[in-house]
Amino acid sequence: MSDKPGNEGNQNKEGRAGFLARLNALETVVLAGILLVALAGLMLVGKGFYMKAKAEVSQVLLKRSFEAQLEGETNAKPWPWADFTTEAEITALRIGKTAVVLSGASGEALAFGPARLANTPAPGELGTSVIAAHRDTHFRWLRDVKPGDLLVVTRKDGTNLTFRAGSSRIARWDESGINADAPGRNLALATCWPFDATEQGPLRYIVDAELVADAGPSTLAAQGGPSKLPVNSF
Amino acid sequence: MQIGDRFIEGEIKAREEARKVYEQAKAEGKKTALLEQQRPNIFTNQVANIGPGETIVVQIEYQSSVHQSGGEFSLRFPMVVAPRYNPDPIVQTVDLDPKSGYAVNDPVPDRDKITAPVLDPAENAKINPVTLTVNLNAGFPLGTITSPFHQTDMQTIDDMARKISLKSGSVPADKDFELSWNAVAGKTPNAGLFHETQNGKTYLLGFVTPPAQDAATQTYPKREVVFVIDNSGSMAGPSIEQARNSLALAISKLRPEDKFNVVRFDDTMEVHFPSLVQATPDKREDAIAFVRGLTADGGTEMLPALEAALRTQGPVETGSLRQVVFLTDGAIGNEAQLFDEISKNRGDARVFTVGIGSAPNTHFMTKAAEIGRGTFTLIGSEDQVAARMGELFDKLENPVMTDIAVSFDGANAPDITPNPMPDLYRGEPVVLTAQLDGATPAGKLQIIGKTGNQPWRIEMDVAKASEGKGIAKLWARRKIDGLEANAYAVNDAAALDKQIETVALANHLVSRVTSLVAVDVTPSRPAGKPVVSTDMPLNLPEGWDFEKVFGEKPQQAIPEGQRKASLERQDEQAMLIADRMAAAPTAHAASMIADAGKQVDLPQTATLADRHILIGLMLLAFALMAATTFSLWRWQVRGLASEVRDRVR
Repeated sequence: MSDKPGNEGNQNKEGRAGFLARLNALETVVLAGILLVALAGLMLVGKGFYMKAKAEVSQVLLKRSFEAQLEGETNAKPWPWADFTTEAEITALRIGKTAVVLSGASGEALAFGPARLANTPAPGELGTSVIAAHRDTHFRWLRDVKPGDLLVVTRKDGTNLTFRAGSSRIARWDESGINADAPGRNLALATCWPFDATEQGPLRYIVDAELVADAGPSTLAAQGGPSKLPVNSF
Repeated sequence: MQIGDRFIEGEIKAREEARKVYEQAKAEGKKTALLEQQRPNIFTNQVANIGPGETIVVQIEYQSSVHQSGGEFSLRFPMVVAPRYNPDPIVQTVDLDPKSGYAVNDPVPDRDKITAPVLDPAENAKINPVTLTVNLNAGFPLGTITSPFHQTDMQTIDDMARKISLKSGSVPADKDFELSWNAVAGKTPNAGLFHETQNGKTYLLGFVTPPAQDAATQTYPKREVVFVIDNSGSMAGPSIEQARNSLALAISKLRPEDKFNVVRFDDTMEVHFPSLVQATPDKREDAIAFVRGLTADGGTEMLPALEAALRTQGPVETGSLRQVVFLTDGAIGNEAQLFDEISKNRGDARVFTVGIGSAPNTHFMTKAAEIGRGTFTLIGSEDQVAARMGELFDKLENPVMTDIAVSFDGANAPDITPNPMPDLYRGEPVVLTAQLDGATPAGKLQIIGKTGNQPWRIEMDVAKASEGKGIAKLWARRKIDGLEANAYAVNDAAALDKQIETVALANHLVSRVTSLVAVDVTPSRPAGKPVVSTDMPLNLPEGWDFEKVFGEKPQQAIPEGQRKASLERQDEQAMLIADRMAAAPTAHAASMIADAGKQVDLPQTATLADRHILIGLMLLAFALMAATTFSLWRWQVRGLASEVRDRVR
C-alpha cells in the first residue's frame, strides 16, 4: 500500500512543473493502467483481510450470543439480521483453541464460524455429526489435532461432551465416507485440504472423533446412574 | 439351486440320508445346499463350497393357507426368527459321589441349531434385505387391503386381483410382513370348496363360516379368566406396551360376576391374587395398576407360569367357563415341554394365546391354542390392540361351536385333516383338507356341529369344487402337523417318524424327518483348498431391545482388580463372536453396503481470502514495477530530449 503513493511521489518529484501537461497520450494510458492494477491489488488485499477480520470479529460476537444462550436466553442471535443460530462451542484442549459452532453450513454461516452440517445429527446424538469450517480461519488448527486429542463440545443446553479424536484422512468432498446414520455417537471435523493451498480444491481433510463413553449423557441416562452429567458449565 | 445359468433341482430325502449326501458333496468340493426343518416354523439352509465372489441362488417354495377370521383374510410372511429364550437344563445331582456326575435333561436339545448370531442394532446396520411381491387373486370382489407393518404399492389388475409390492423396493428382514384384505360389503364368502388332482387322488380344501348367532338371544356364561403376561426381556420396547394395553383392556371388560387372576413371568413369576377373585371394580383397578407397572426384563421361563395358570387356580365352578389368556411373543425354544403341559393339565380350561410384537413365534402360539382348544390372536402393533382384542372378547364371550364332524356322503375319504376338528369361535370358519380316492369324485361333503344345544349342519357338492393349486401339499402338511401333534400320545416314536416320512416323501415336503438337498454334479472347489464355515447373522426383530435379550454389557462398577479380568473375558468373548461371524458381513461391511448411497457431502471450506491477498499483493508488486519502469523510461526520454535540445542549441 505504501509503495504506490511513494511511487507517485517519485513521479511527481520528477516532473514537478507541468508534469501532466508534458505527458503525451500514450504515457497517460500507461499510467492509468498502472494505477488501475494497483487499485485492484489494494482491493483484493483489503477483501482478504476483511474476510479474516470478519471471521475473527464475528467469533467474538458469536461467543457473546452463545453465552447468552447458555444462560437460558432462547433464540439469541449474534446480530439482529443473522440467519443462523449458534449451536455449540468446540474446544481443542491440547491446542487451546475454541470456536463457536453454528447451525447449517451454508456458505454464509461458514464465513463466521464452524458450522454443523444440517443433514447430520447434533454432536452427541446417535450417528455422525459433521462440523466443517474454513481451513484458513476457524479450523486452521485442525492440522494440529493428533489422534487421542480430546475435543470438548459444549452444547447450547449446557452439556459438555468429550470426544476423542481418532485418525485423520483426506477424501474428496463427494466421497467423504461419512455416514450420518453410522452406529455410535461420532463427530467428524472437516476442512479443506491441502492446508497451504490458495485455490478451492475438491479435497477435504477429515478428523474422525468418537464420544468418550463415560461422558455420554445419554448412556448415563440409560444406566440411570448418578447425575454426574449433564454438567452445566458457566 | 441356481449356479450361474444352471438350475439344480433339489430332492427330498430322509433327514439323515440328506445330511450324508450334503456332507459328502461338501467334502468332494461340489456345490450343495441343504434345507432342514428345526421347528415347524424354523428352517435352516446350508450352502457349501461357495467360491470367493460367487453367487448361488437357492429357491424354496412353500405353501401356507390364508388365515380367516371375522370376514378378514390375512397372509403372514415371516421375515425373521426372533431369538428364542432357551431355558437352561435343570441340573440334578444324582449322587454326592464325585464319580457319578449329573443327570441332565435338556429342555432344548437342539439349542445350537435354532440359535443364529443376532446383530446388535446399535453397532450394526440392518442386513438381509427382502424384496416382496404379492399377486393377490382373491376370487371375490376385494374391499380394503392393508399391510399394517410395511409400506406397499398396490396395482389393481381387476376387481378381484391386485399386485402388491414393497414401496421401498427392499426392506431389512426384521419384522413379519402381513397383508390382510376383505371382500366388498355383502360379498364376503361364507363357504368355499377347491380341489386338486394328483397321482389319481383328489385333494379337497373347503371352508365354511357358520352363521353368527343373534346376540340378543344368548346368555353369557360366567367366566373364570386367568391372564398370563410375559414380561421377559424379549418383550422390551413396544411389545410390553402392547401387552400391557391389551391386558388392561381385557381386565376392564370383565363383568362383575366373572372371576379372574393375573400371572406375570420372566425368569421369575408372580401371581397377583392368591386365588381367583370376583371382578369387582376395585379388584379390576388393582390388577390394572399391577399390569401398568410391569417392565420387561429377564429370561422367559414360561413353564412355571403356565403351570400356575393351569393347575393352581382351584377347581372350575359349575356353569363357569375357565379361560387362560396368555400374552407373549412366544420367544422360547422349549415348545414341546409347554405343549405337553397344556395337553396334560388343561382340564376344562381353554387356552387363548395372544401373540405380541413384530415377529412372534406363531407356530408355538397357534399350536398352544389348538391344544388348549382356544384361539390365537395376533397383535403386531399398537393400533391393532383395540380391534384385535375386541375380536378376542367376542370369542371369549360367545358360545363355541363344538362337536364338529365332517363326513363324505358317497365318496371314500380316508383322510380328513384336521382330525379331530377343533372347536370354532365366533367369526371363524371351519377349514378342512381331505384326500379322496379317484380323480373325479362325486358325492357330498357334510359338516355338522353344535352351538350350545343348537345343532348346525351344512352340505356341499364335491363335484362342484373349483380348481385349486397346492392343495395336495397343504393336505400333506396338515397331515404331518396332525401326526406331530399326537406325538406325545404315541409311544412308538420310530413308527410315527416313519409315517411322517412316508407322507413327506410322497408329497415332496421338508419336515422334521425329511430334508431337501441339492448337489451340483462337478466339483468346483480345487482339491486341497480349505472350506470356511460361518453362520449368517440375523437382524434383531424390530422394536426389540438388544441389551434386554442378550444382557447388558458390564458397567464400570467393578473394582479395579476384577475389572482387568473381566475386560479380558470380554475380549475373549468378543473374539469368539468375531470368529463365529468371520466371513459373514461384518458390521462395518454391512453398514457400508446398507448406506453406500447415504454419505454426507462436505461443503467448500476454503475461503478465497488468502488467494485474494496473494493476488492483491502480486498486483501491487506489478504496479510498483511498472511504475518504476515507467518513471525510469520517462526520465531517460527526458534526458535524451534535453541532450538533443542542448545539441540543437
